[in-house]
Amino acid sequence: LLLGELVPTMHGFLAKHLQFHIVGTFIVSLGTATFCNFAIAEPGKKAYADFYRNYDSMKDFEVKRKAGIFQSAK
Amino acid sequence: MAYPMQLGFQDATSPIMEELLHFHDHTLMIVFLISSLVLYIISLMLTTKLTHTSTMNAQEVETIWTILPAIILILIALPSLRILYMMDEINNPSLTVKTMGHQWYWSYEYTDYEDLSFDSYMIPTSELKPGELRLLEVDNRVVLPMETTIRMLVSSEDVLHSWAVPSLGLKTDAIPGRLNQTTLMSSRPGLYYGQCSEICGSNHSFMPIVLELVPLKYFEKWSASML
Repeated sequence: LLLGELVPTMHGFLAKHLQFHIVGTFIVSLGTATFCNFAIAEPGKKAYADFYRNYDSMKDFEVKRKAGIFQSAK
Repeated sequence: MAYPMQLGFQDATSPIMEELLHFHDHTLMIVFLISSLVLYIISLMLTTKLTHTSTMNAQEVETIWTILPAIILILIALPSLRILYMMDEINNPSLTVKTMGHQWYWSYEYTDYEDLSFDSYMIPTSELKPGELRLLEVDNRVVLPMETTIRMLVSSEDVLHSWAVPSLGLKTDAIPGRLNQTTLMSSRPGLYYGQCSEICGSNHSFMPIVLELVPLKYFEKWSASML
């Protein structure tokens, strides 16, 4: 065995470390954004769509009128 | 109206405010993306003993961190401009109401058909009835028809004020000598609260706005009774 074959690699560590973690960074941050989209943005849009799908403004008005909140409609 | 421990916007009452809410969610998502990226990189830099002291050029990374922010900015600008233009669409209002800011109350004029005008003062805390909201209630509310496009003309008789109703996504400066216009369209009936949003003196915090959105029939009865 030649001595040269037993010497371990002692360079390129930072580059390897960075490459691994830069890919990891993008995965984490894109994952965060995707999570935000599906946990906050999409449910928000759905909540409004669901509320207005079968919304009856006159029925809503009658409920509020009976509660006595309006000055112009007792 | 605002409520204790509130973190986000008030529930949207107009289609434009709904768009603004969703745009805010989209932009916040981008903010979280950038923040998590930067935080991860900072923690990375702080947790390694590896160094590289002979960097000579960085052409590739410079290109990436120019192009990527440009793309992110475009992703923010496109929905933003869409909503901006949506706010300026021609919408043929059925009614015009003028509001004048004073120190320290709002006055309203409905002059399309008859001459109806009145002042709207805050109800002092000592005169509130049970259930009424402190610093938000007024004696004469602005009654308007719901599900109708209304032109609001905003100005001032003295100093700068600002007529704001957050749940409708409205905030229009009241500038003496100038007429500012905004469009109001409420999808639902109810009471919607706002407060003066431009410093105007000692009682700036005590000149709120209350909109009462009711069906057209009730609005017509109310305006006849107010003459």
